[in-house]
Amino acid sequence: MTEAEKRPESQDRRPRPRKKQRAWQQHRQRLRESRIAASRRAKSALGESLAPVSKRWVGFKHWYEENGKWTKPLASLLLIGFALLLPYTGDIFDVPLWVELATSGSTLARVMLFSLFALGLNVVVGFAGLLDLGYVAFWAIGAYTAGILTGAQDYAQALTSGAENPVEPEWQMWMWLLFLVALGVAVLAGIVLGSPTLRLRGDYLAIVTLGFGEIVRITANNLDSFTGGPRGIRGIPHPAIKVGGIDIEWGTLIDIKYYWLLLAFVVLWIIAINMLDKSRIGRAWVAIREDEVAAAAMGVPVLRMKLTAFVIGACTAGVGGVVYAEQITFINPPTFSLIQSILILSAVVIGGMGSIAGSLLGAALIVVLPEIFRPLEDYRFFLFGLALVVVMIFRPQGLLPSKRRQAELMSGAEVTAMEDVEPKEGTATA
Amino acid sequence: MDLITECVSSVGDQFVAQTRNGLTLGSIYAMIALGYTLVYGVLQLINFAHSEVFMVSTFAALYALGTLFGVTQPQAGLALILILLGTLVICAATSGGVAVLLERLAYRPLRRRGAPRLSYLISAIGASLFLQYLFVLMDGQHYLLFVKLPAIAGAAPRPVPEVMATQTLFTAFGSAITNKRILVVLVAIAMLFILDRFVNQTHFGRGIRAVSQDAEAAAMMGVDIDRVIVVTFLVGGVMAGAAGLLYIIVLGAPAFWFIGFIPGIKAFTAAVLGGIGNIRGAMLGGLILGLVEAYSVPCLGTQWTSVTAFIVLVVVLMFRPTGLLGERVSR
Repeated sequence: MTEAEKRPESQDRRPRPRKKQRAWQQHRQRLRESRIAASRRAKSALGESLAPVSKRWVGFKHWYEENGKWTKPLASLLLIGFALLLPYTGDIFDVPLWVELATSGSTLARVMLFSLFALGLNVVVGFAGLLDLGYVAFWAIGAYTAGILTGAQDYAQALTSGAENPVEPEWQMWMWLLFLVALGVAVLAGIVLGSPTLRLRGDYLAIVTLGFGEIVRITANNLDSFTGGPRGIRGIPHPAIKVGGIDIEWGTLIDIKYYWLLLAFVVLWIIAINMLDKSRIGRAWVAIREDEVAAAAMGVPVLRMKLTAFVIGACTAGVGGVVYAEQITFINPPTFSLIQSILILSAVVIGGMGSIAGSLLGAALIVVLPEIFRPLEDYRFFLFGLALVVVMIFRPQGLLPSKRRQAELMSGAEVTAMEDVEPKEGTATA
Repeated sequence: MDLITECVSSVGDQFVAQTRNGLTLGSIYAMIALGYTLVYGVLQLINFAHSEVFMVSTFAALYALGTLFGVTQPQAGLALILILLGTLVICAATSGGVAVLLERLAYRPLRRRGAPRLSYLISAIGASLFLQYLFVLMDGQHYLLFVKLPAIAGAAPRPVPEVMATQTLFTAFGSAITNKRILVVLVAIAMLFILDRFVNQTHFGRGIRAVSQDAEAAAMMGVDIDRVIVVTFLVGGVMAGAAGLLYIIVLGAPAFWFIGFIPGIKAFTAAVLGGIGNIRGAMLGGLILGLVEAYSVPCLGTQWTSVTAFIVLVVVLMFRPTGLLGERVSR
């Protein structure tokens, strides 16, 4: 907003000579016109100079869409291949920041972890339009399931009670089933929370889910004997595969193998979510998101569809939580505070709600941005907050909005009561 | 069963004391909740940065009491009244100013672009982080755009000098009622009363009610929506500012960059409990939430208060999906 637009609002209560007012308005009009003209000139100049490139790009896009049958799978395969080899690109591109980020196992794994969470939350928020502020609860549930079932909790308990030579839990092959167990537990938790509350409209749901997140965290903090209380659980074993001749062990936090493990989950989830989005369920979600009453009238089972979305989001976080617990080996309640839910939600919104590519980009940004700001130490969350506001102001629809969503924004279907009452200049006072 | 009977009897023992605690805390929640509810009424927006508006007030109180009035020991008589009034004005003005700035810088640009509603939420969260860490940085050792930030805050909590000595005014059923609690409840009642009159009987109040009923129609009737929104944020900020001062006085809380978080969440819960967008609902919700938390203390212990509060919220919303008093700002 320019200075010119701001000023008169604060003053227009005062009686001012008509003439002056008119002159002022003309001045503003001229300013606005010159600004628009300048931006138009800049755009056309840029467009001309880029004409050969953009022409070819349009041609390529056309060709790509036309041969979608084999180009699209090929492109996905190429992307997956690139993602697989990402840890090695540090050797090729010798750019300082790139080397640091792309070769750091913990950063890469964190990006993938948050990508998984963002994908799950995207189903809830982006597809079904349910505002969930307690997403971290399911992450916590997954992590604690792993912590308790691997025996790490018993080990920690034995340590504190001073037992002699407690046995640190070791990874067994059956522990791979933990992913399924955690998925099941998270689904159960999702149903328990979802079925009474999903009747609530948008913002009520937000506070209830927020409350649920806090309830899970505080419960984990208070139930000492069950969850280890504020001390948390330590000594959760790293995963390993030991069958016959195969012997793969995941090492400490920075082991790059966690990245690949999480990448496998992310790819799996992208495929599944893509299929869901294109199925009847996906269309039902869109209908609910756009107009719940109309959807119900057309025979969409609103509550069941909402619950489906909620549960899919929950089980994603549950699985992510297991990997998290196994990678970090230590979990305690403060890890699962509200700020994590908010971070994941901002990944979804920054990336573009309802867009899978957007979720991945958003997750990468919310992990990498604070890392980039790390040399600035004390300033990093300050700058991160600023970045959130700035991104939202300049790209309210997100960085990579889904085509459907964008079309809605353009046609104004998304407009709600508060947005379409843009007051015109010179409206009388209240 | 044993547990339940034990619980009931322990609540019975401390009933008056906990009612007293609940009313004090509840009236503070109610004042913060008004900020959420007013903004929600006109914008349908959860103003997540409102807890930071509250937080700023604690630093305003620290500045006013510690630096401006130079309070070193509890005051009495006229001096006390003047200092309290002065601090109240400063806190309210600072918080109101921050709330208005927030609207200008974080929300209005989005409104101009017709952004989807979730973008506001993220913008609010960003602004909240920005404000929190701005106060962390203000420890006199950090620079912002080559300007040294003043040393008025910092990462550690800073105790606010006690301006009012705690005195027991009278004893009701064995529990002491102190002057601080009386002050808090009186100020809260006064502010809530003024606000209620303001919204129901003044020119601006009518504007606020009109916008929250139907923004489009209000604009057509000649209501300047931008101004109504600014006034709403200002009023909400003023209430949060006063609440910040009361919070410090009655709980002896320090000025701290993270202090807004818990009261903010609780107040938001209170606003939803009463029916978000509904002013009297926010007052009722605040009081009920304060009482529920207080009554849960003798029975379950302090570590479960938040859980109880949220469970009560869920149960209430299950039976009354739009809160106790329903949604709208009082017509």
